[in-house]
Amino acid sequence: MIEEQTLIDDLKQTETQARAFEKLVNTYKERLYWHIRRIVLNHDDADDVLQNTFIKVYRNIDNFKGDSKLYSWMYRIATNESLSFLKSKSKKMGIDSVELQETLLNNLESDVYFEGDKIQLKLQKAIATLPEKQKLVFNMKYFDEMKYDEISEVLETSVGGLKASYHLATKKIEAYLKEN
Amino acid sequence: MKATNKNSGFKLPENYLENFNNSLLDKIASQEEMEKDKLPTKEGFNVPNDYFNNLHKNIVEKLNETPIKVISIKSYKKYYYFAIATAAILLLLIGINLNKTETYNMSDLANADIDAYLEYADLDLSAYEIAEVMPIDNLDIIDVLEVGIKEENILDYLDSNMDDFNELNIENNEY
Repeated sequence: MIEEQTLIDDLKQTETQARAFEKLVNTYKERLYWHIRRIVLNHDDADDVLQNTFIKVYRNIDNFKGDSKLYSWMYRIATNESLSFLKSKSKKMGIDSVELQETLLNNLESDVYFEGDKIQLKLQKAIATLPEKQKLVFNMKYFDEMKYDEISEVLETSVGGLKASYHLATKKIEAYLKEN
Repeated sequence: MKATNKNSGFKLPENYLENFNNSLLDKIASQEEMEKDKLPTKEGFNVPNDYFNNLHKNIVEKLNETPIKVISIKSYKKYYYFAIATAAILLLLIGINLNKTETYNMSDLANADIDAYLEYADLDLSAYEIAEVMPIDNLDIIDVLEVGIKEENILDYLDSNMDDFNELNIENNEY
């Protein structure tokens, strides 16, 4: 916690900013990348969103009040950036969000940066059928193995609501995998 | 090591040992199938080589390439002109309407509105107070009654209900 506060203080001071930013990127890049990648699915898009997330963090660090953990704040920015990215992508392509998910999944099969087997692809297809919130909760809990408290801080939802979302998500995924 | 156990008294099902290898392989295969059906814990995503090693450098480059977004006022110039023109027209119209003082009189008000006002407004006036301000001279009986009363009915009423004619103010009244 003290280390996090030092990092924040260093990010806010011009003379220590560059070094602190490097530390920030190196500390959180992988966790944030995988979180974003699970939402946007494609590597190039994930890279774009991740870079924009860090740029936003860098430029808005003065607005960080410390009400939540730095990590949760960055996760929240990454989530919002990813969702906005998908929205603008579907707008550009002139399709709705469901059609966009289908396109992303179809592209995943031929993606050089996807080496999943049939069941992994099927799982991604099952996740794609979930509503946005359940999708986020499932990914954060199942793949990221985040605690409900941490997810609650990022998504600003009660722990009870998250548990219900996760339960519903797993039931839907199980049903999808049995049917398909 | 002995291949058989003569003293234990245990017995094996027929061809058990001969079929053991096959049944073991079947079991392994079915377990593998079950493992496959389990949900994978990894997504199967991959990243280019050295992607994470070069990430900080790439972000710093992008950060320098994209200076803080300054919204140019020039590109919105025509919209500002339009907004200013609209505001000016609106102000002009409002100004004209404000300067125009319209005069209203009682005839502009619908009777139903007056009735509703008198009925619902808490005027706190007694019948005598109302009578004082009512222009009796110009008041006709049909102004207060929807159905006219015949003169003979009035006389009949007065005849049967009025003991003292002095109670009537007949000075300015034709009845």
